[in-house]
Amino acid sequence: MMRPRWIKVFHDLWDNKARTLLVVFSIAVGVFSIGVIAGAYQIISNDMSISYAANQPANVELRTIGFNQDVLGSIQNTHGVLDVEARRVFNMRVRVAGTEKWTTLDMVAFEDFEANTVNLLIALQGDAIPKKREVVLERDALNHIDVQVADVLEFQLQDGSTKTMPVVGIVQDTAMGAGDFLASPYAYITMSSLQYLRQPALYNRAYVTVEAGGDDIRHIRVIGADLKDKLEKNGTRVIRTRFSETYEHPLASTVNAILGILMALGILIVFLSSSLIANTLSALLNQHLRHIGVIKLVGGRRRQVFVMYLVLIMSFAALALLMAVPLGGQGAYGLALFISSELNFNILGYRIVPTALLIQVAVGLLVPLIAGLSPVISGSRITVLRALSGDLTGDESQPQGQQQTRVSWFDWMLIRLTRMLALRGIHFPRPFIISLRNTFRRRGRLILTLFTLTMGGAIFIAVFNVRATLHDYIDSIGKYFVADVTLDFDQPYRLREIEQMVMQVDGVAGMEGWQFVSGELLDANGEVLENINIFGPPADSVLIEPLLVKGRWIRAEDVRKLALSEAAYGYFPNIKPGDHVTLKIDGRAEDWEVVGIFKFVDREGVLAYAPYEYISKMNNLANRSYSFRLITENHERSYQNAKAEELDKFFRERGFKVRVAQAGRATLDTAVESLDTLVMFLLIMAILTAVVGAMGLTGTMGMNVLERTREIGITRAIGADDRAVMQTVISEGFVIGAISYVLAIILSIPFTYLLSTIVSLAVFETPIDVVYTFMGYVIWFGLVLVLSVVASILPARNAARLTIREVLAYE
Amino acid sequence: MDNTLIELMNVSKTYSTAAGDFTALKNINLKVNAGEFVGIVGKSGAGKSTLLNMINGVDQLTSGVVIVHDGGEKISVHEMSEDGRALWRGRKMGVVYQSFQLLPMLTLIENITLPLDFSDNFKPRESKARAMQLLELVELEGHANKLPAFISGGQQQRVAIARALANDPSILVADEPTGSLDSITADHIFDVFEQLVSNQGKTIIMVTHDSSLAGRFSRNLRITDGELADEDDSAESKVDKTMRRRKK
Ligand SMILES: Nc1ncnc2c1ncn2[C@@H]1O[C@H](COP(=O)(O)OP(=O)(O)O)[C@@H](O)[C@H]1O
Ligand SMILES: [Mg+2]
Repeated sequence: MMRPRWIKVFHDLWDNKARTLLVVFSIAVGVFSIGVIAGAYQIISNDMSISYAANQPANVELRTIGFNQDVLGSIQNTHGVLDVEARRVFNMRVRVAGTEKWTTLDMVAFEDFEANTVNLLIALQGDAIPKKREVVLERDALNHIDVQVADVLEFQLQDGSTKTMPVVGIVQDTAMGAGDFLASPYAYITMSSLQYLRQPALYNRAYVTVEAGGDDIRHIRVIGADLKDKLEKNGTRVIRTRFSETYEHPLASTVNAILGILMALGILIVFLSSSLIANTLSALLNQHLRHIGVIKLVGGRRRQVFVMYLVLIMSFAALALLMAVPLGGQGAYGLALFISSELNFNILGYRIVPTALLIQVAVGLLVPLIAGLSPVISGSRITVLRALSGDLTGDESQPQGQQQTRVSWFDWMLIRLTRMLALRGIHFPRPFIISLRNTFRRRGRLILTLFTLTMGGAIFIAVFNVRATLHDYIDSIGKYFVADVTLDFDQPYRLREIEQMVMQVDGVAGMEGWQFVSGELLDANGEVLENINIFGPPADSVLIEPLLVKGRWIRAEDVRKLALSEAAYGYFPNIKPGDHVTLKIDGRAEDWEVVGIFKFVDREGVLAYAPYEYISKMNNLANRSYSFRLITENHERSYQNAKAEELDKFFRERGFKVRVAQAGRATLDTAVESLDTLVMFLLIMAILTAVVGAMGLTGTMGMNVLERTREIGITRAIGADDRAVMQTVISEGFVIGAISYVLAIILSIPFTYLLSTIVSLAVFETPIDVVYTFMGYVIWFGLVLVLSVVASILPARNAARLTIREVLAYE
Repeated sequence: MDNTLIELMNVSKTYSTAAGDFTALKNINLKVNAGEFVGIVGKSGAGKSTLLNMINGVDQLTSGVVIVHDGGEKISVHEMSEDGRALWRGRKMGVVYQSFQLLPMLTLIENITLPLDFSDNFKPRESKARAMQLLELVELEGHANKLPAFISGGQQQRVAIARALANDPSILVADEPTGSLDSITADHIFDVFEQLVSNQGKTIIMVTHDSSLAGRFSRNLRITDGELADEDDSAESKVDKTMRRRKK
């Protein structure tokens, strides 16, 4: 025979399944969310860098105008360079032979796939090494084109004619697109295929790994600057350079920051669920006072009682762990897998993360322990006399003096208020007033329930605001890219000529020619700080609405004057209009005056604007341009797409060397998509918090009903019908829901601010202005009403089902 | 030979309530000898339960001493800690209340073994045998594995008595054990107590509001407003009575 005390503990666990499930789920939700995030964090922070570093990522990427084998040789011979691979990268429009839809791919031509030592390709399917007139696709391309190995693709040439090549394999390139959310998918060919595609057999990119110091970004920059000098002395203009460390995935800090936010929400969920557990356990101990009295009457001591309830709590915890640990592990892997596939790195397979497991077990055991400690201690301390006197087993604990006066103060207020309203002809239904009083009876429990529900609501609302904030920010960034269609050519054309042409195309309302120049920002000692890209729109451009922070925008008469993006503060914290910066352009150091500072995504590096009027002279391309920005009559994405298509065809047919014609919103929409993925994760966490809140409310209503069994019996005895009893209980849930809604509105404001700031710092490295949307408020309003009614229906039905006999038997 | 088992000396109990202090027991002095069957009567609110709770250590006294003799030892009930009293009570004193105080989720046999468990006397096989033996004593052996809710009130009270006997204490205190039972059932319960005194030599102190039972106790006490009075004439006669009962 088992010891009767353990038999009792077992029955406490087994007999009240609803309560056990409530407690177990409360614990499990917290353990699960912590497990998912801690596990994903561990997996990602480990695997992201390893997988990135495993494929020999380039430390320096140089984008240049064409160069040949000799130049490549001189790069290889530069001091500090370990390996270099040269490639030709250009974009082409591609479609599956026989279909309509074009997709732009970045074509990457390799000299020798067998000798691939930098930015290694991982073979996934078919042949990883294309032969002449064959193509291999990066796996991301499959998300854009519906194609399989052995299918034939059509490639569109400058003149609009097409060439075909079969897809022979799928590879993964973890290094090339890393850090660039917006890159087009890649396709790989041999240099020998270039002629077929009417491309010159010249390289335009060099991927360099450094011999030592691959984790020292300063060292990498120095080598990059040396290489750039060398190339430019050879007459190879370098358009852009990028530097990255070997063991640091370019997006590692972003991902970590986002996981950090999720972790914070996970901790909050644990916190909320612990208040839920505390609530349930203290009600449980309250209901068990009589049992404790009996135990002590027959010789049970404090410690024995304490241990019994401790075992009960640990059994709840064990059940929760049993459920949440495997699910959490799966969830962690799922989240890691999702993030890794979004960011194109590989994780090293499913595994149990010991740290995450430990955290889960610790949370699963400690949270209920801490939450239950105080009720269990006070429960085990209770004297037989008090336990058996019935004082404490009734529906209300012996009110302490202070509480008593407070409650009556509340009642007094309520009476005054109802009277006052009654005088004005406003009458509240009676059940409503009873509910209101009931609601305020159990203060501690009410506060805990309100707290959970309010937190859930506030986060839920805040997530919608964060979404609005991010979209608003993207929109404001979009003001730098107002053009409906961007038209780039491989050679410069006269503005007047292009203007005459585009105006023949239906729906085109205007056009501007832009130019660009790139250089480096130098510090006081002439050392390179960073790349700087200078955009040259016409000074009176209507296609840019800058968000100026200081100073003024560019003017047509400006000479060597520019407006700088806020990212410059990273190097010159005190820079202001009127100050001068030194730029290195075409190998020469020049002194430029800063006229204004504007807001932009800091992650994109230092940007600047100077008037076309000056830049075109600098580039010796007065009244000409490679790049044109068009305005169409209609600004919708689909219209933009159609016009881009039309313009592309139009110009190609007339023999222009079109490089690409793109809808203006294309890049922004991609950015919005990735941000929405992030928002979706936040929303999942918000829903989890809301679920915890709803569970809290169900638990509270259940306990309230249970404790008021006698009272409900009496109401029934004096004639209340099922409907009336249910109404009282449901209105009570409703009142709690309504109060929490009001509180959530208030709390959502700081939450929105906090979340937006963290997210924007993580993603854009820029703090952004918070925007509020009514959407979250409306949705949560509906949700909290539904939740609070649903949460009270079960307890209300139980209450209505109670017969007078059962009520008396309850004693 | 001194046969004293329980001794109360100048025991007073004052409750502090919101309405002021209320003295429920006033300077009680009482000696109970081993083998006595003491009945306590008195009006509702007179202090009967309070007195019993002083003896079994469920409540704390305001002043005075309660000594319980155990072999050669004298145990001062109120000098022990709450836990100490619980353990002592579990081992040495059976307690029966008006409401049956069984744990609803445990079967009858499990309820009976509860004191054995908490007083560290639990041995799986022997405890079960002991519980069965006690169930036989109260004639409920056929219901051993039922839950309390499935037997009648009188049967529940018999289980409560069996549980009180689990550790074989020499003293039983019972507070209106028949109070919520009909008269025939109540009579049955009283028989059980009588037999415990006469067959097993237990010492029993029982509170009752039924003065018709007076003749069946070996000694009758009356509490009036917290003051105790012996109903019987002399100390001698009550011992004689007890002896007589035992011989019977
Ligand atoms: N915990 C308590 N607090 C205050 N007064 C009490 C308490 N317990 C009992 N009393 C009072 O002490 C008196 C004696 O109570 P009790 O011993 O229970 O009477 P009875 O003889 O009916 O068993 C009563 O007047 C009762 O109101
Ligand atoms: Mg009483």
